Amino acid sequence: MVLDHSPRLDLVFHALAHPARRAIIRQLTGGERNLSELASPLKMTFPAASKHVRVLEGAKLVRRRIAGREHLCRLEAAPLKDATLWTEQFRQFWETRFSALDELLEEMKQQAEAPPRKP
Amino acid sequence: MNAPAKLPALQVSTPTDTTIVLLRSFNAPRKLVWEAMFTPDKMRRWMVPPPQWTQSVCECDARLAGVLNIAWKSAEADPAMTLRGVFTEIVLHERAVHTEVMALGNGQIVGSQVEQHEFSGSGPTTTLRITQTYVSKEARDGALGSGMDEGMEACYALLDGVLAQGW
Repeated sequence: MVLDHSPRLDLVFHALAHPARRAIIRQLTGGERNLSELASPLKMTFPAASKHVRVLEGAKLVRRRIAGREHLCRLEAAPLKDATLWTEQFRQFWETRFSALDELLEEMKQQAEAPPRKP
Repeated sequence: MNAPAKLPALQVSTPTDTTIVLLRSFNAPRKLVWEAMFTPDKMRRWMVPPPQWTQSVCECDARLAGVLNIAWKSAEADPAMTLRGVFTEIVLHERAVHTEVMALGNGQIVGSQVEQHEFSGSGPTTTLRITQTYVSKEARDGALGSGMDEGMEACYALLDGVLAQGW
């Protein structure tokens, strides 16, 4: 069954699903960091760290600004503070029910539209 | 066969401290959505029980003072959970309000709320707005947070940690 997820929340949870990206978030709670500072404790190359930062940027969890040769990253709290995050499970519970209702309604419509059978 | 029109996704909102509003559209006229919502043999199809549970009772009389009586059983308990209520307002195919008391098999009440259903739209699509009103903010928040699985818990624990650091 296809659930109608919130694409934005999917991005947030996908971004949080990788330990390196969670480590980056933890580092950024200490304030703005450049990419090299983020990469070194992860024992990661600059491009690898940059790739993870891109995923976090995609989920709007991190904002990157370029100052001279530095890529400075900082946390964006809004997606995590959003109340819909903790209500997502409730939403999915109901969406499961409503998807089942969609299927049922299709059947009911087909039955209603079917021509009466001749005896 | 024509593909059904793409309708907006389910919206959940909390306009006041004690309410939850669910807004969802369906590719069917109001009369059909009403029947699907309130006819027992139809309700069994969409009131998907938790894993390992089955619905053992489903009575619904969507008329003024009509009774709602639903029960689920598990391998351990019959009933494992009951849902009982009374319809307090009915405007056929437009509006239905019923009370709802959820209880465990031993009778312990675990939730009490009022559910208001509003059906709008003319023609082939219907928008259903369900407003759930709880007795307190705590009860409302409990309902919102229920059903959280471990994966979500882990995410929230992480977020709590992050948020605690001064966001």
